[in-house]
Amino acid sequence: MKRIEKKLKELSQDNQKAFVGYIVAGDPDLETSLELMHLSVDSGVDILEIGVPFTDPIAEGPTIQQAHDRSLENQTNLQKIVDLVGKFREKDSNTPIILMGYINNFLMYKDLINRSHDLGVDGVLVVDIPGELSLEDYGIDNQDLDVISLVSPTTSKDRVKEIVKNSTGFIYYVTLRGVTGSSNLDGNEIEKNIKHIKSISSIPVMAGFGIKNSNDAKLLSSFSDGIVIGSSIVELIYKNSENKDFHEVSDYISNMKDAIR
Amino acid sequence: MKDNLPDKDGFFGEYGGKFVPETLMYALNELEQTYKTLKDNNDFNAEFHKDLAEFVGRPSPLYFAKRLTEHYSTASIWLKREDLNHTGAHKINNTVGQILLAKYMGKKRIIAETGAGQHGVATATVAARLGLDCHIYMGSEDVRRQSLNVYRMKLLGAKVHEVNSGSATLKDALNEALRDWVTNIEDTYYIIGSVTGPHPYPMIVRDFNAVVGYELIEQSQESFGRMPDSIIACVGGGSNAMGIFYPFIKMDNVELIGVEAAGKGIETGEHAAPLNDGTPGVLHGAKSYLMQDESGQVKGTASISAGLDYPGVGPEHSWLKDIKRAKYVAVSDDEVMKAFHMVNKMEGILPALETAHAFAYLDELMPKMNEDQHIVINVSGRGDKDLNSVVEIEGIKL
Repeated sequence: MKRIEKKLKELSQDNQKAFVGYIVAGDPDLETSLELMHLSVDSGVDILEIGVPFTDPIAEGPTIQQAHDRSLENQTNLQKIVDLVGKFREKDSNTPIILMGYINNFLMYKDLINRSHDLGVDGVLVVDIPGELSLEDYGIDNQDLDVISLVSPTTSKDRVKEIVKNSTGFIYYVTLRGVTGSSNLDGNEIEKNIKHIKSISSIPVMAGFGIKNSNDAKLLSSFSDGIVIGSSIVELIYKNSENKDFHEVSDYISNMKDAIR
Repeated sequence: MKDNLPDKDGFFGEYGGKFVPETLMYALNELEQTYKTLKDNNDFNAEFHKDLAEFVGRPSPLYFAKRLTEHYSTASIWLKREDLNHTGAHKINNTVGQILLAKYMGKKRIIAETGAGQHGVATATVAARLGLDCHIYMGSEDVRRQSLNVYRMKLLGAKVHEVNSGSATLKDALNEALRDWVTNIEDTYYIIGSVTGPHPYPMIVRDFNAVVGYELIEQSQESFGRMPDSIIACVGGGSNAMGIFYPFIKMDNVELIGVEAAGKGIETGEHAAPLNDGTPGVLHGAKSYLMQDESGQVKGTASISAGLDYPGVGPEHSWLKDIKRAKYVAVSDDEVMKAFHMVNKMEGILPALETAHAFAYLDELMPKMNEDQHIVINVSGRGDKDLNSVVEIEGIKL
């Protein structure tokens, strides 16, 4: 069984919701990213989403954009990120890892991405490949890698059907119209749309974008299989990068995990 | 020769497409459907052409450049005077068309990106005419070097948002406009200013600018009794070039030449010439030639002209390059300044620095031409907006 599927099955058997945590690889540096990956898992993250920095990340709000810029100053690239995953796997062989980024970077490393499952990567989420397209058409065709797709409040029902067909692992439901880190969640709309996805497929659905506090987390986890948190974690990492004391990150993750229990 | 591209998925050969976050797909599909319905609608076209005639002042003249022709003493040089349009550049053709689409779609809020400010002014102008809320994104570096256009946009009632992220130029303004659109997707119409971005924009912007090429067919016939031998246009994103090239794509004997910005020189790496020194990649929703490094990160650009200072280019140009239907060359900042002065002194025309790139290629082209031939330069815009930059570059105190 693939790692993502296995993890989500275990959680659901325990009546637990999944916590997907996002960090940008190489922010503040790759060594610290490794430390932060382990710390996140120890504090309650079930699935790690590793942001691949890009010069022009159009789906990101200022918090994650700036993290991408900081990471790029360290010359972070996909090769170094896959190496990072390899190092993480030396100590953790259970936590699923998804690489999240933009198609232009993935295209430059097609061969590496196709080999990356053997190196410890479980899935890819390419933000700017619309979900009804198949990554295979772009040379990324390793069947062992899960392909996570986004569904948004503006996705038509016809397209949801196509997207679900092309997705494995889980569907990432974008909970608002906007970039990462925005606010104004509409609980009713989110519930309705997630129900719709669930009515046509058994694939798990994670809800993300705009989750800031434990109330948001609790609300969204009540009608999804789990939540994704990015900007808030990235912000706390940045705030504490100077002295590299990340207990605030750890506390935040634990609180969120408690909120969705 | 195929001139019926893009295909149904928005591709010109391998270039183009819709590489965008999921939230935008809805708006792109909505726009595509609307355009499909309206583009052959008589009322829509009548309204568009009435605006072009009465508000923009079309057709723009085809003007014989007598002294330039004598200077090179080979082919006759003709100028397609887009600089005489209302607001001073070809950019108005596209905005007049797209604002009509916005109106038919019932959108109340208009956003746009701008580099040199010409597209921002053209957008603010058409939005003002319809009383629509208008937001323009502009890199802070461009706000500085194009302060006159910033003030014009404000006069027209637009809100100008300064963008400080990344290189603070056109590409970052586009990023920010896309982020605005994702956030305000339902009530907002995004008027992209060049033949770039996700499908259907490269097609729509081309079609609205193609009026330039269609006029040229008639004017060439009237002025010299046949089609031109060569057409020259500057290329940043490539909208003025695409507009004048498009109707000629299937006329194999008409040479199409796009001139990119070589900045400090192609060999220095400090330029904005992806068709001359780039590789295929994906930026702003489309696959096209792109200035990028081996990790797929987009490189910084350098050009004297804000309007050409962009690391990508419209996908149809990438296709025309690969199938060798158009030729893409590049000229340096120094060559551009020389041409800028030449056109002022010899023809009494103040060209935009973008446009001066097209003139700067004459030194290389003209010696190879002969006296029976006719070439046309697309004078894409006028240069009043660039006077601050020129004065600064030449160290002059006014």
